[in-house]
Amino acid sequence: MAPRHDASALPCNIRSVMSSTARPSSARAGRCVHGAAIAGLSLLLAPAAAALAQWIDYPTPGVPRNADGTPKLSAPAPRANGRVDLTGIWTAAEVLDEPCVGREIGPAGNAGSAPAAPTAPIAVGPATNDQTCIRQQSLPADQVNIGRTLKDGLPYQPWAADLVKARLAKQAIDDPHAHCLPPNYPRAYVLPQFFKIVQTSGLTVLLHEFNASYRQIFTDGRPLPKQMNPTWNGYSTGHWEGDTLVVETAGFRDDLWLDFSGSPLTEAARVTERFKRPSFGTLEIEVTVNDSKAYTRPWTVTLEQKLVVDTDLLDEICLENEQDTRLTDTK
Amino acid sequence: MKRTLVAAIAVAIALLAGRGALAHHSGAAFDHERTVTVKGMVARVDWQSPHARLHVDAKDEHGNAVQWDIELPSPNTLMRRGWSRDSLKPGDPVSVSAHPARDYPNIAVAINVLDASGKQLYAGSAASP
Repeated sequence: MAPRHDASALPCNIRSVMSSTARPSSARAGRCVHGAAIAGLSLLLAPAAAALAQWIDYPTPGVPRNADGTPKLSAPAPRANGRVDLTGIWTAAEVLDEPCVGREIGPAGNAGSAPAAPTAPIAVGPATNDQTCIRQQSLPADQVNIGRTLKDGLPYQPWAADLVKARLAKQAIDDPHAHCLPPNYPRAYVLPQFFKIVQTSGLTVLLHEFNASYRQIFTDGRPLPKQMNPTWNGYSTGHWEGDTLVVETAGFRDDLWLDFSGSPLTEAARVTERFKRPSFGTLEIEVTVNDSKAYTRPWTVTLEQKLVVDTDLLDEICLENEQDTRLTDTK
Repeated sequence: MKRTLVAAIAVAIALLAGRGALAHHSGAAFDHERTVTVKGMVARVDWQSPHARLHVDAKDEHGNAVQWDIELPSPNTLMRRGWSRDSLKPGDPVSVSAHPARDYPNIAVAINVLDASGKQLYAGSAASP
């Protein structure tokens, strides 16, 4: 008996913006069902209110659209309170070069009166990131080492370099992430789960799918606390410089990991993030880590994010059924 | 000395990342150098975070019944790729290639999942989170 998984049922609008996360792996991956077609079918079977009831493909309000209904990601960034608005769901723009299980093949024909939405790939990310490739997985390119784009890598202190080497040798068995601990920043930007920025005038909140966690960036002018009990997120205060949100964070725990290699972040760290939204669909996060305990000098990487629309966050509670640490507990 | 260490780290990352042993958060648990193929029938699917788990009734090399516990991506990742919690139901025939757990029998992390007709339901590398 064939399973009920049907690649053709994947909504067009979710596929048009989620370059590979939503891609089904079957050979029929080119087909998709337009939202209106789903709605039409639902009307036959249920009250109209049931149409488009799934949040996994619920249309995001306020997204500029092309004539065919696809999101216009190159449109100007939205504005609120006289500033650029960073609000949106984001995920890493550059992903690992996973094998392609299919290729985008253009508009799908569907029974239904609405025109089919072409599956336009997201026009962001470096040229090497083939947007027509339907990948098996969407894994951020910087997830293994957050300093991947630095010419000489991260400038580790000798003890930190030894530590990373030891962690790699043990295949990151002690990774806090593998033990369901929080998605600390800036590592959270290079985990595969989505995060949502909610910008208000005095506070910007980052909601991360992993463990349904939050992080607050205060923009009400408050200084960093004098006494900071070390935490996973640290304490963040931000201000605007034109259309750039500049955030300072300190008060980190002493044992944080920045990536799957175990690059450390210590209690001495002061992290500066500069957020820019050059277009509707792109977020640039320039991260500077000033942590003299672990690194010989401050270092800066830009972690580009792409917008995710017509879907929403899905909680992923790691401790719900975590089964892998039992396989390594004896080591 | 420092350059050698930096180079050594780069090589280690490339090797482990290439095998996906690091990107998979339980790279330490599974042997990414070995692949097993499990053919059988779905016993049940645990549709929970952080990984959906596919339990397959199969036979070992002696013909004895065994049940495999095979790790898939998170339900969220699967749903965004068209799966639902009912995509695989008890009794469905499947063929799974997977990396086995290093120290425990009949536990593995899926590389791909094929249905009875050989259609690929899932093709996740070992680098899947």
